Amino acid sequence: MITLIYGGSSSGKSSYAEDYVCKSNYKNRYYLATMVPYDEESKERVKRHRDLRAGKDFVTLEHSVDITDAIPEVLTVDSGDFSTDNRLSQEDIILLECMSNLVANEMFRDGQVFHSDYCIKKIMEDVKELHQKVKNIVIVTNNVFEDSAEYDEGTKDYLRALGKINQNISALADEVYEVVVGIAIPIKEKGRVL
Amino acid sequence: MILIIGGSYQGKTAYARANFPEYRYLNQLHLFVKKRLDEGKKPDAIMAEILDIIKEGEWAIISDEIGNGVVPLEPDDRRWREITGSILTALAKEATEVHRVVCGIGQRIK
Repeated sequence: MITLIYGGSSSGKSSYAEDYVCKSNYKNRYYLATMVPYDEESKERVKRHRDLRAGKDFVTLEHSVDITDAIPEVLTVDSGDFSTDNRLSQEDIILLECMSNLVANEMFRDGQVFHSDYCIKKIMEDVKELHQKVKNIVIVTNNVFEDSAEYDEGTKDYLRALGKINQNISALADEVYEVVVGIAIPIKEKGRVL
Repeated sequence: MILIIGGSYQGKTAYARANFPEYRYLNQLHLFVKKRLDEGKKPDAIMAEILDIIKEGEWAIISDEIGNGVVPLEPDDRRWREITGSILTALAKEATEVHRVVCGIGQRIK
């Protein structure tokens, strides 16, 4: 099952997403963090999100690119005795926070700039592979599409990539919510567009 | 007339094609408005031009939402944003249906 949670900056989407995951009955809850804390501001943000998660029993996984690298970690935690048998499991749920960072990290990595078409294909393949292994994924993503600013080509290509990935995931998703002032407005539920 | 709005890169055109294939489209209305403002046209004249274009046949007007950012620094950009908003509001009143597209999914809001 895939759930997509979309909202503006500081709309309460992360908090909603965490509550959504915690309300569920899954045994193992994973928090897949994609932000690279490279300066004071982002460190502060990471800390705020860690505090928000404190006591909620998440196993934190940190992957700013190549999110499929989280799969062996999930397998290891699940197996308990750290053997590598493939006991995977409807009991896992993974919260990916957030797609807007992941797209930026994949697009601008290793000192290069990758084209939106490449990033869309790559990230969708990674999401599908992760979904195959960990059956329940909640993906948080950002609404950065409603201002009137005219951006340079690089930023436009980033917006194109994130917009298309959001569309592709929402098409696959069972549930899609838009969060506004902390309130989740359902757009798709039980695989049905509302 | 049907109005389809949403942020940029949300799949509005694909949504229009899938749901209103028999319609004629006036797409990217926000840029249509910008071009005419740059040419020195007045808002009333722009609205009249839009209404003239759609007066015959079945039309779907498609536009980006551009009002949800910080106030633009340039006066011309502020004016563009305001006038686009008021034109869209007026068109929404006239429209038989208004749809908002989020992540490729459209919701009828009127």
